[in-house]
Amino acid sequence: MINISCEDTVLIKKRSLKNAYFSFTFGPYSRVDQCYPGNFIHLKLSETQIYFRRAMSVAGVNKKKKEIEIIFKVMGRGTELLSRFKPTDHVNILGPLGNTFTPPRKSERAVIIAGGIGFPPLMFFAGELVRNGYDPERIEFFYGGRTAADILERSRIKKLGVNFHPVTDDGSLGHRGLVTRMVEEYIKSHPDEKLRLYGCGPEAMLKATDSLGLKYSLPGQLSLEAPMPCGVGICLGCVVPLKAGGQARVCADGPVFEIGEVAL
Amino acid sequence: MTPDLKVTLAGVEFKNPVMTASGCCGYGEELAKVFPLAKLGALVTKSITLAPRPGHPPPRTAETASGMLNAIGLANVGVDRFISDIMPFLNRQKTRLIVNVAGSRIQEYVEVCARLNDIEHIDMVELNISCPNVDEGGMEFGNDPVMTEKSIAEVKKVLRKPLIAKLSPNVTDIVAIARAAEQGGADVLSLINSVLGTAIDIETWRPRLTNNRGGLTGPAIKPIALAKVDAVYNKCSLPLIGIGGINDYRDAVEFFLCGARAVQVGTALFVYPDAPVRIVEGLKEYLKRKKIKSVNDIIGKVRKY
Ligand SMILES: Cc1cc2nc3c(=O)[nH]c(=O)nc-3n(C[C@H](O)[C@H](O)[C@H](O)COP(=O)(O)O)c2cc1C
Ligand code: FES
Repeated sequence: MINISCEDTVLIKKRSLKNAYFSFTFGPYSRVDQCYPGNFIHLKLSETQIYFRRAMSVAGVNKKKKEIEIIFKVMGRGTELLSRFKPTDHVNILGPLGNTFTPPRKSERAVIIAGGIGFPPLMFFAGELVRNGYDPERIEFFYGGRTAADILERSRIKKLGVNFHPVTDDGSLGHRGLVTRMVEEYIKSHPDEKLRLYGCGPEAMLKATDSLGLKYSLPGQLSLEAPMPCGVGICLGCVVPLKAGGQARVCADGPVFEIGEVAL
Repeated sequence: MTPDLKVTLAGVEFKNPVMTASGCCGYGEELAKVFPLAKLGALVTKSITLAPRPGHPPPRTAETASGMLNAIGLANVGVDRFISDIMPFLNRQKTRLIVNVAGSRIQEYVEVCARLNDIEHIDMVELNISCPNVDEGGMEFGNDPVMTEKSIAEVKKVLRKPLIAKLSPNVTDIVAIARAAEQGGADVLSLINSVLGTAIDIETWRPRLTNNRGGLTGPAIKPIALAKVDAVYNKCSLPLIGIGGINDYRDAVEFFLCGARAVQVGTALFVYPDAPVRIVEGLKEYLKRKKIKSVNDIIGKVRKY
């Protein structure tokens, strides 16, 4: 079945967030209806000398206006050039790619654990849960960063009505310490609740989240990042080892994996 | 008038001269989600070895200026699972099928080829005697004319399908290797495989590939690949398949002019997975614009000084 396409589209809105983070909205993009939380798009920076695409998780969609949003941090030459794009500049979107988060059951509480640049797909996920009638009071949104300046889109996340728990290394916002330590406190103080974990962020955070899931026998999923030459499963450049042996492609078998699945 | 894109290699007719390159399209299942594989001249599979191989640990790709390095390390499902799990899918595809075979001993090439013999849908076998990413085998065979001739001759003893020998650019005299392959009984030559290279992270002083080195591919290697095709064309009588940095129909035309009868598209698939379809369309328009009836009319027609 043909369900992946390359589509030219245009930057229509650009917001500069704090700390070298940007929010870009592209449109019209005909496949917004097929974009679910966890999915990513592979972005060709048309109009630049950068040859390979850049993988960006979907941070939001506006189905009526056929718009798609990504949030990225300037990390290297590609994202640096992208950050200089102006509205009306062209990109080519390959996608939507990858798998998606499994929503929590009605009986479960969603414990979302975002770290640094890992928050955009989780913000999209929480938003879609709420839009689909999941009680926002049953979503715990933990978000860790080094300082207050690393915790982005705060009012947008709070507006969803979720229980928001910012955590910073230096205590400049919310709790002070490691986000996964705060999550463990939360798990320990809610022994009678059915919890389901969702993590996306730096490797150390994913590893700690994986350990929490295994230690307390909690189900959940982690969204991984990897350098992705192709994004569609044909180059085998993005593989990660699995605990059960063998390998998985982050782009085509993930990016979302079950807790306990990947040898992190 | 639509120009004729059909080409014939070793008696096998291809509806157009644009193929995928080995290792850049898996076994075709993913590309089938992007376009009908019937639009390809041929699908060339990832290298198949006798036993399954996990490949090298990550990181095994690194982006470079106008290209990339890879040291995937011939990760593949092995010939048995290829036949039982992958062939049923490939049998349903209305495209020519070329299976690429790799090994670390001559006997391994021979055994894999023997198992492919009876599979009707496989049109040709491409022998990877040029992989820079495994310690033993691969490039070792393709580096030396004697070994090249010997390994091809041994395979030809058992294989009942036309054989393509895939050549490495990492040699002093590619013409000598090409002639040795012809001597051994190869029916077609494909060139080039990736160019040996590496890259270092200056913060950690670590190579950017766990294999310490890898193969350079993509637009960066196109001039090298063209020069190799040009060097081999007319120096041996076998038809040539050009490979290396082909990104659009213009690149493909350059290869035809230098003597390639078909082309394979590798790294470009990572940017536009439908690149072969775009190249076929571009080629048609080009020939129409030039009022040329058949792609065969431009092969080797570079007007040299
Ligand atoms: C990720 C990757 C994996 C490859 N794997 C194989 C392989 O298994 N067997 C093989 O013969 N060539 C392999 N190649 C080489 C390609 O088939 C081709 O010869 C080379 O990439 C040059 O073409 P390109 O510049 O269009 O990519 C691989 C190339 C890449 C980039
Ligand atoms: S990025 Fe190519 S297989 Fe995942």
